[in-house]
Amino acid sequence: MNQKNLFIDLEYCIGCQVCEVACKQENKLPVGIKWIDVVQVGPRMVGEKLKMDFVPMRCRHCAKAPCIDACPEKAITKRADGIVLINPELCSGCTACFEACPLGAIQLNPKTQVAEKCTLCVHRIDAGLEPACVHHCPAKCMYSGNINDLLKIIQDKEAKRMIGVV
Amino acid sequence: MRKQDTKIVKSICTIDHETCGVLVHVKDGRVVKIEGDPDFPQNEGAMCPKGLSYIQAIYHPDRIKYPMKRGGERGEGKWQRISWDEALDTIASKIKQAKEEYGPESIALSICDGLRGNELAAYGFMHALGSPMICGTDAHYCFRPQANADMATFGMGNFITSEKSQGGPEFEQSKCMLIWGANPFQCHMTIGRNIIKGLKNGAKLIVVDPRFTNLAAKADLWLQVRPATDGALALGMLNYIIEEGLYDKEFVNKYCFGFDQLKERVKEYPLKKVSEITWVPEENIRQAAIMYATLKPAAVSTRMGLNMHTNAIQTLRAVDLLIALTGNIDVKGGNILAIPESDLPYIPWWRVELSTRLSPQEMEKAPGVKDWPMFYGHNACIFSQSYPPFFFDMLLTGKPYKTRVLLCLNDPVMGLQDSKRMREAIKNVDFVVKNDLFISPTANLADILLPAASYLERDEIHTMFYTGFIAVAGKAIKPIGECRDEKEIFIELAMRLGIELPFPMKSVKEFLDWRLKPSGMTFDEAKEKGIIEIPFQYKKYGKEGFKFPTETGKIELYSKRFEKYGYDPLPYYEEPPVSPYSTPELLERYPLILISGARTNLLYHSAGRQIPWLRELFPEPILEVHPDTAEKLGIHDEDWVWIETSQKEGRIKQKARLTLGIHPKVVHARSHWWFPERKDDPERGCMESNINAIMSDKPPYDPISGSPIVRGCLCKIYKAEKD
Repeated sequence: MNQKNLFIDLEYCIGCQVCEVACKQENKLPVGIKWIDVVQVGPRMVGEKLKMDFVPMRCRHCAKAPCIDACPEKAITKRADGIVLINPELCSGCTACFEACPLGAIQLNPKTQVAEKCTLCVHRIDAGLEPACVHHCPAKCMYSGNINDLLKIIQDKEAKRMIGVV
Repeated sequence: MRKQDTKIVKSICTIDHETCGVLVHVKDGRVVKIEGDPDFPQNEGAMCPKGLSYIQAIYHPDRIKYPMKRGGERGEGKWQRISWDEALDTIASKIKQAKEEYGPESIALSICDGLRGNELAAYGFMHALGSPMICGTDAHYCFRPQANADMATFGMGNFITSEKSQGGPEFEQSKCMLIWGANPFQCHMTIGRNIIKGLKNGAKLIVVDPRFTNLAAKADLWLQVRPATDGALALGMLNYIIEEGLYDKEFVNKYCFGFDQLKERVKEYPLKKVSEITWVPEENIRQAAIMYATLKPAAVSTRMGLNMHTNAIQTLRAVDLLIALTGNIDVKGGNILAIPESDLPYIPWWRVELSTRLSPQEMEKAPGVKDWPMFYGHNACIFSQSYPPFFFDMLLTGKPYKTRVLLCLNDPVMGLQDSKRMREAIKNVDFVVKNDLFISPTANLADILLPAASYLERDEIHTMFYTGFIAVAGKAIKPIGECRDEKEIFIELAMRLGIELPFPMKSVKEFLDWRLKPSGMTFDEAKEKGIIEIPFQYKKYGKEGFKFPTETGKIELYSKRFEKYGYDPLPYYEEPPVSPYSTPELLERYPLILISGARTNLLYHSAGRQIPWLRELFPEPILEVHPDTAEKLGIHDEDWVWIETSQKEGRIKQKARLTLGIHPKVVHARSHWWFPERKDDPERGCMESNINAIMSDKPPYDPISGSPIVRGCLCKIYKAEKD
């Protein structure tokens, strides 16, 4: 499978929002839209212990992306490598895709009034580079690549946990 | 767009305390993108939000781009563009006149974390003028306390528990990481990144912090200490470690002095008592002591939480003694002793400062030097300079010297306690020069504004921070508008005044070449390399004939240096002078403990609030309140609330955020808040939400450093009425 995607190891995400600003600069986004949004969960009591987690929300480039069918303009397509893109030339800004997306990952660019979301930094991927968020993550907890490679990272991590290495 | 149109220039981002390699994408002379440099060892490609949005700072429409002089009354916010010649001629003639009529002591320098790298030029200029009136405005509570504790213990003021020592804690190699009064995930991502590497390698993490931070969220053990009682906690851990025999006996016998006296002293801190003082459960203190003493190697990192109160130095001493007793010093994965100066490939700034410094008699004229001789005097472990609260007293009262000219490279109105007094003090100076990127609340009070150059517009050697290398970078772009490197400004002023700077400095280039002489390279050669590595050796004390540079030649658990200056040679805990226990009579009026000034990786002190991408993520000053406390006071999430303190008349307002991450009896306020977007107000609302406006720099002080009560006073909060 040469499907491209992103894996974020939440165990080490520190909620620093570097990915948010890296994305802003790379994709020249104005104030008022985020293609990646780090959601803070907590502090909350879990049993006797205080916990806080961070979950970066963004387009998951779904295998079967509901936004594609929802778009009346057929502006949303999935590339052969799995990356889901919105064509700004075709988008009418009708926001039908917002409702279709279970993650709330699509937003209106307040400047252009076009629906936008994470492109996985497709221009960088096509140039052989990592997405800007992955490149700049201080925790090095973001991984981009083919799904098979990402699965291997996850399996290694789980295996290590199971045999108690870490 | 053709690809070859954009060139990539390597540079070093130093806009905060970090030193990060960056790749600057430049097109037609304009920066179009700033990326982390994956080949730079410090950051390995990683960046912080400030660095990633810096493009919005350098091309900001509000940036000061040419020299300006005051067009109306002081602080009225009216400015007239002038030429560099007019600006420099005016400044030089004011300095000349002041020196001739009132003596060199009438000229003063205020400096701090501004545009780093130019401290030397500023100090050298002042020494050449013959003025001792130098004030590093954070001297009493930023780093210098740690350096003094290290000096007393290990004989070298090398910031042993911070990464600032060359080497620094290598948490990647540690089994246990103890982070105390600090959150490197917010303000020192290099340490933060090392902590994450440590976590990935299975190290245990202990965090001591009154707040449940994003760092505490990753901890195996979080000690929610009562503000400013950290000293008791450290002493309690020392006592437990000694009583249970968990210390490194061989190391202590061989390398430490004063064990028996320390043992006696810490007996005063049994777990039960320490738990009552600190509000940390006994079991947690015990666990922390066992983890730190037995999981080896272990390393400690401390920060401002331990520096900014009246028991600061003895607290830091107690933490240093944990390192000493467990032998976690100068080992891989522990805390590190500085690289000997003779091994450095450059002339360090402190060395230059020592050689150019005025005589002890002249330096003693600076406010506070005589009052705290060990901390600010000629034998100080960093360098001699004014004690900040007394320096601003001098500005305000004209005693012992009336200040005629103030060269200001920082923002005391936002950065120092009692902001209104700071404002009056600066206004009371006849002539104020300020260089800055933006018209900050302090810049607003100036007579002449000079346009500062960012790191992208300067040639610089970055030597101050971290690990075994220095970094050298040239300009990535031509200065924007008429912005100028401060080094050039001091050269120009010296020329106009006919004084000679105390080092070869006819040009910036000559100065940089001279500083790099020990490396055998010129600036241009070093710039090509980018990084000069410095060889590092562990266990320097293991070498034949090695002596710690203390009076006894050993690590001094009992400090001879403190004894000599009349301070307690052994660490002790003292209840904060204003607290629920020491001033119960204040509780009715001020029922809560106030801490403030936790850092965020989005803003750097008073900088960054005009940067759209940063302000979007941190739009308003936030007061953290426990939900139970808020409920009793009728405060809801997002309500604006007034804060009043036990320290100072007046009130400020911040926006409440309800969080379980703070003790019900404690609230936390953000610091340094002003509103650069308020263009109609020349002060930019700098007294409205600025916590320093309701803090004081009056006594009581830490007896050694002179730190006033900054973290851990009493306060009350109440809902702000709607406008």
